[in-house]
Amino acid sequence: MAAKLLDCYARVSSEFGLTGRIKLAMLTKISSEKAASEADSEENIMMFEQAVIQIRAAPR
Amino acid sequence: MSIATKLGLFLAGVIVIFSALAVAMLAQLRSVALGYDALLNTQVRQMQAARVVQVTFKKQVQEWKDILLRGYNPDDLAKYTGQFHNREAEVHAGAQALAGTVDDANARKLLTQFLAAHQVMSEKYQLAYEAYVAGQSDFKAADKMVRGQDRAPTDLFDQVVQALDGRVTASVEAQRAATARNRNLVMSGCGGLLAVFGLLGWLTVRSILRRLVGLREVSDRLSRGDLEGLVVNISGHDEIGEFGESMKGVHAAFAELIKIASSPAPLG
Repeated sequence: MAAKLLDCYARVSSEFGLTGRIKLAMLTKISSEKAASEADSEENIMMFEQAVIQIRAAPR
Repeated sequence: MSIATKLGLFLAGVIVIFSALAVAMLAQLRSVALGYDALLNTQVRQMQAARVVQVTFKKQVQEWKDILLRGYNPDDLAKYTGQFHNREAEVHAGAQALAGTVDDANARKLLTQFLAAHQVMSEKYQLAYEAYVAGQSDFKAADKMVRGQDRAPTDLFDQVVQALDGRVTASVEAQRAATARNRNLVMSGCGGLLAVFGLLGWLTVRSILRRLVGLREVSDRLSRGDLEGLVVNISGHDEIGEFGESMKGVHAAFAELIKIASSPAPLG
């Protein structure tokens, strides 16, 4: 169970709504459904955190 | 490596091959020209000099016959005697010069023998000439003294010409064989390189087309919203690989959209 990856989805969803989720999926290339079955590896967490930073940095 | 780099390298490789082929052919042409120049400046020139000496020797014998035939006239005697001695000197000088330049041992040996035989013949002709003048133009007696004396030097010089002619023929044949060998070497080398580049080009094009077909299939399924079991597996460190990575993002976004549409409740 990739709790940390799903946590990223939850954060962008609360901050940016559906657009944020789609952007996160686009940037990480991993949908939330797939993220649920992925490992919370260091590499995956770093990729998701980078994507969250990128979404936050982008103009709304 | 990007497709542009691959195509650029392929084009550069083909240009290098054809440039190398052109340079090799020019070098081959130069080598052939130099080889024939050397042949013309040595062996063919010696051959021509030998022919000149051969003809001059025949003229010398002809002058002797003119002495015998027309020597009863003092003016003709003086004229043909002068011409006979001139030819004799020319033959001697020509054969000596040739012996100094010819590098074929057999031809040089034959020339030495010819010079000795020619010297003996000249001495006998001189005695016959003196007998002819003393005998008041008795050509029969003079002719009897030197009859057949020109045979030995004639045969010897014919052998000299034959030896030199054989060398020229052999050299031309060797030159022709070397030219054919070099040409075959250049052609097979360039042909091999072209085959290698052709194979590399074919493999590159096949790889590009195979991955483009994969991308088209992914694109078709995304356009139909058919994401069930869809895996975007387009690898490579080129433009197609990058496009495949983008398609993975699009695929994930589509999947997320479908999930949102089917279950609108927010996560967390």
